[in-house]
Amino acid sequence: MSVARPPALSLRRLRKTFGAVVAVDDVSLDAAPGEFLSLLGPSGCGKSTILRMVAGLVEPDGGQVVLAGEDITRVPVHRRNLGLVFQSYALFPHMTVFENVAFGLRRRGVGETALRPRVERMLDLVRLGPLGARHPHELSGGQQQRVALARALVTEPRVLLLDEPLSNLDALLRDEMRVELKRLQESLGTTMIFVTHDQAEALMLSDRVAVVDQGRVEQVGRPEEVYRSPATPFVARFLGRANFLAGVVAERDGGEVVVAFDGGLTVRAASREGLAQGQRVQAAVRPESIRLVPAGGGTSLPNRFPATVVFHAFAGQAHHYVVQLDDGREIEVVAPGAEFPVARGAKVQVEWAPEDVILLPGGEA
Amino acid sequence: MTRGRGWGLLAPSLLLLLVAFLVPVGMMVPTSFRPYVPLVGITRGFTAGHYVKLVTDLYYLEIIGRTLALGFTVTLLTLVIGYPVAFFLARSRSRWRSWLTILVVFPLLLNLVVRTFGWIALLAQNGLVNQALRALGLVDAPVKLLFNFAGLLIGMTHIFLPFMVLVLIGAIQNIPRDVEDASRVLGASWGATFVRVTLPLSAPGILSGSILVFVLAISALVTPRLLGGPTYRVMSTLIYDEFLQRLNWPAGSAQALLLTVMVLALILISGILARRVGARV
Repeated sequence: MSVARPPALSLRRLRKTFGAVVAVDDVSLDAAPGEFLSLLGPSGCGKSTILRMVAGLVEPDGGQVVLAGEDITRVPVHRRNLGLVFQSYALFPHMTVFENVAFGLRRRGVGETALRPRVERMLDLVRLGPLGARHPHELSGGQQQRVALARALVTEPRVLLLDEPLSNLDALLRDEMRVELKRLQESLGTTMIFVTHDQAEALMLSDRVAVVDQGRVEQVGRPEEVYRSPATPFVARFLGRANFLAGVVAERDGGEVVVAFDGGLTVRAASREGLAQGQRVQAAVRPESIRLVPAGGGTSLPNRFPATVVFHAFAGQAHHYVVQLDDGREIEVVAPGAEFPVARGAKVQVEWAPEDVILLPGGEA
Repeated sequence: MTRGRGWGLLAPSLLLLLVAFLVPVGMMVPTSFRPYVPLVGITRGFTAGHYVKLVTDLYYLEIIGRTLALGFTVTLLTLVIGYPVAFFLARSRSRWRSWLTILVVFPLLLNLVVRTFGWIALLAQNGLVNQALRALGLVDAPVKLLFNFAGLLIGMTHIFLPFMVLVLIGAIQNIPRDVEDASRVLGASWGATFVRVTLPLSAPGILSGSILVFVLAISALVTPRLLGGPTYRVMSTLIYDEFLQRLNWPAGSAQALLLTVMVLALILISGILARRVGARV
């Protein structure tokens, strides 16, 4: 991210309560111009409220919304020049597709001659060119969402806000729209703030992901960053699956630490800052970081344990296993689908590299 | 659902409609073409005279015109007064909301005659309204508010307002908030959003509320009779008098059938209108 340019959008200590419930708690975030920033979190975590405060539909109790250096916290909704795409599409049912897209331009006093080519170009861009005369109810869900996108983008908003725009589409269409959205964002260079509860979607689309839980931003970073080095147990748990092990730092050894887990197991892990000997930690190991190797075989990885396969399921791209270690602990393992499956009941070994162990402070799993 | 089962479900209400509505109305058709001789009664023969009189005699034309004018004005007034109330009730999260809803529905729980007599007490020559107007120095002589158009208009607007409000509340609640929010984000002020989004989307409710109030207003009997007195007639009171005071059933039948045709025509036209609007909503 370029440091020289001011952020396209900057949230400063935003706060919102509904009665006794703190929906958004002291949230500060910056989005660089042209950036695709996701707000990722479970439903009810406050991510939609953050977005609605940016749009001006919800008034914050405290904090500021700054758009390209201008404080817009008190600017009324219709003067903010933002785009917003809703989960429900929220098209105007009494207007044609063309009129839906033209709505924002008309409100800005764009004349009829200038308006037509702009609307048509935008409809072409979302591949709805010939459907301008239809009404929304005559379109499929995917087409409706594309109208919503065109309608929001045609006014060239300073920032496009997307509130779970793909959640109402079925799986196949969702994949298609994801690609389309990314393509649009790259060709138009619009700054986009994307709210979603779907971690795969956030990871695939975003330049950066902000993980939100209970009204707070837990971590902001590039997709690989939040996935590989989650800052909190919540982030580790919410982004992909992980095996959690609770233990104590037993020994520091150069760049690695040895963690002794409750139950006698010891594991070598890549160290991180601020770990002291005797400190309670949680270690998270992603199922896909773990390799299943035949009993007796294996590589030179230091974390290797004998195990028994207790569950196996094939899911196309991957094999899902649950294996039981000798101390009774069960661990999830995901192996590439192209590999030969290991039968249930087989005696195997599991192994993983020290750098694949994510160490998080705190003892309770 | 199969066709047979559909009819089975409809049968009870269809039967009721047939026995209680279609047959009596159908029986009125031949009656309306019978000659009527005063002091003798209904005689044999055929005449279209009752209908001819209805559409040529100025006395009757005035009553028909008055009935329609009253219907339209009452509908318009209930709409103009009712829409803001309905909008507030549909949207507000205020704690006054439930109280106001009760207030709107409350008149419906009172007997119609009682409510109408209430208006007589208010609108009479030395009623509360005239007393207030004179106390405020707004008028010198009492304003005539009873036994004329103004009286009927005031009374009937009040009595039919709850129907309009209840229908509108439903229609306004059906408008998704997201759609209005989308309009505002796209640059429409609150007023522009109301005119371009909220109002068009509540059109089906406005239409059905208007039909309901109009039909109720032009066929209302008790209120026009009490507030209009024996001389200021509308079609329903005319029909009532024709049947029960002059005992001229053929003329009464013709008038009743004309009123029915007017109502049906209006419902038909609104139906077509609603389909046009509804196709887009």
